[in-house]
Amino acid sequence: MLVPENTKCECGHHNSVGTVLCEYCGKPLHQDLQKSDEPLEMRYDGVARRSQKSNPSYIDRVWNFFSSVKIAIYLIVITFLTAMLGTIYPQESSFINNFDPSTYYRETYGTMGHLYYVLGLSHTYESWWFIGLLVMIGTSLVICSLDRVLPLYRALNKQQIRKHHQFLLRQKAVYKGTLNQDAAEWVSQYGDALKKKGYRIHREESGTALLAEKNRFSRWGPYINHIGLILFLLAIVARAIPGWQMDAYITIPDGDTVQIKDTNYYVKNEKFNVEFYADDELPEQLQGKARAKKYLTEAVMYKCVSDCGNPLKEPVLEEVKRHDIIVNSPLSHDGIKLFQFDFNLNPRLNAVNPVLEDKTTGEIYGPFYLPMKDAELHYELGPFTLDLYANYMEFALGSDGKPTTLSRDPNAPAFVFTVKGPGLHPDGEPYIYFPMQKDKVRFAQDTINRDLAERIEIRVDGMENVDFSEATTVLNVRVDRAVPYLWVGAVFSMLGLIMGSYWQHRRIWLRVDGAEVVLGAHTNKNWFGMRSDVAFGLKKTGIEVDPKSLDNGGKNA
Amino acid sequence: MQVVILAAVLIVGGYAIGTTLFAERGSGFLKPGERPPEFSLANMEGGVTSLSDYAGKPVVINFWGTFCEPCVKEMPEFERQYKKWQDKDLTILAINLSEDTLTVKNFLNRFNLSYPILRDEARKTERNFALRQYPTTFFVKADGTLMEAVVGGMTEEDIDKRIVRLLQL
Repeated sequence: MLVPENTKCECGHHNSVGTVLCEYCGKPLHQDLQKSDEPLEMRYDGVARRSQKSNPSYIDRVWNFFSSVKIAIYLIVITFLTAMLGTIYPQESSFINNFDPSTYYRETYGTMGHLYYVLGLSHTYESWWFIGLLVMIGTSLVICSLDRVLPLYRALNKQQIRKHHQFLLRQKAVYKGTLNQDAAEWVSQYGDALKKKGYRIHREESGTALLAEKNRFSRWGPYINHIGLILFLLAIVARAIPGWQMDAYITIPDGDTVQIKDTNYYVKNEKFNVEFYADDELPEQLQGKARAKKYLTEAVMYKCVSDCGNPLKEPVLEEVKRHDIIVNSPLSHDGIKLFQFDFNLNPRLNAVNPVLEDKTTGEIYGPFYLPMKDAELHYELGPFTLDLYANYMEFALGSDGKPTTLSRDPNAPAFVFTVKGPGLHPDGEPYIYFPMQKDKVRFAQDTINRDLAERIEIRVDGMENVDFSEATTVLNVRVDRAVPYLWVGAVFSMLGLIMGSYWQHRRIWLRVDGAEVVLGAHTNKNWFGMRSDVAFGLKKTGIEVDPKSLDNGGKNA
Repeated sequence: MQVVILAAVLIVGGYAIGTTLFAERGSGFLKPGERPPEFSLANMEGGVTSLSDYAGKPVVINFWGTFCEPCVKEMPEFERQYKKWQDKDLTILAINLSEDTLTVKNFLNRFNLSYPILRDEARKTERNFALRQYPTTFFVKADGTLMEAVVGGMTEEDIDKRIVRLLQL
């Protein structure tokens, strides 16, 4: 680090600490830099960065840490490396149901997997240290940019036209020559020539010094790019706000309505449809296998308008959207997207509409509606009454010999009624009813019901009286309210990149002392173009030079 | 301006890091020290019972179903424990695994249970608790954090031991 002994330039201008080139005349301020004749380092026009202070306070030190580009690069590299660690094994967030990370990693990937889990790498991108790194990169972006853009803006806003000889002759494109005409007139001609190339011309009052400049706006490109990146990072951080991001799965059998967790919305699967490829549509090795051609969920989204979250009442729902969900065509409403994710074709019995037959008269009563879950407890069918007093979803006899249920899904439903009616005991007689034919046979319904089986029969006539879900659809619920902000960030970022990449800030300074012309030119890239601009102007004023001869060395691609 | 920017960074960054530190791992099974998710469920008396009604008291949350034999076996044991520790302000909340009303009522008629029986609906609460097997019992300390979660059936001695620990904590 160069420490200046004196910040006052010989031109009389006072520069702030850390200035490399005098803000006014451009002369190098440091002794050793003055002695050298290498091309000058023109970064930020040689002005001091904001953070370069002689007596940094505690806050200044924090500021200085983040204002370092070296630190920024370290942070970015560390973030990239740790982000790579997160890709070794699947992340916890990529699993859906019934997943216990504490055993999964050990069982699937052995000791390495367990170590991976213990170190917290199974949720790398949600870990405090990873978010911490992103926050530090964001801080560094803000501070690095501010630290440089403000002094640079000031320097470019009040540029001195007549520069010091050392400044001019140590640019990477330089011309030195003698005039044989009036200086002011020549400078004016040169300025006019550059105007044609799109330069803005600033001439000193004496008319013997000139500054031509074009495309200064491209200098702001990197900073606009940084604003975009900051917006991008803020949007990512904003995902932590409750309700901003969701990635969940819901399983809905045909005809069911399910609430989307943590929202006021419900989804009904009216019908799930699946179409398979016929054998002649498939290549030989896939023939005979069920390959789905189309999955489609006829879905309806509802909004709960009252009695929401009241466990004692059914919520009141209002339809808000109806859409046939197929792969890549989600139902989308209020930032919530429902994607087709999976399905299964296990049927589920929902309800039957059985009739009661009086076997003595042949009279048939009913049908009556009997859902598998929460059925009515009392039915009146002609002269008969049925009182439901027990139901079993998966009927079985328990270890104590009493009827029990093996699950809560209607795999082998059974209903026990007390039947009253003509010719029956006044207190009623018990009757067990198995809606599924296979269970009726397996559990010998007629044997259990004994005499009553001779008198009455409860049965379903025809499949039209059976309501069942043929399939179950699995939908992926996604909410990402950060996406529009990510786009805005991306647009800013791209705009900044384009500004900085496709345009170059070009400046030409010249001064005439007596008959001697000294010209220096600076750009950030495309020196070939820079030199041809200088040579073009010279040619127009009668000075023929080979653009290559203007090259003053240094790295100037 | 430095101060303003650094303060903004602290607030935004602090919030971002803070939420990751205190995030409830939504899909994961409750670990000791974590707070169980709140629920408000219908009880058998036609009212609503919420976990927060018992804030500041030790609570045992037991998930059960009539289809689950070890759950059924536990119920009278819980009843005896409930009676035993009632004067110590112990609460037992037995959440039924989304079965229908008739099934639950018939079951309860067979047992004479005095502790609150709650009705989960459409498996919402059980999903929030990330239940994988039945029965599962959560012993929640008076400060509202989990002491222990037990998956599978317990003997009365197992239950008693844990309740003693729960009440001493």
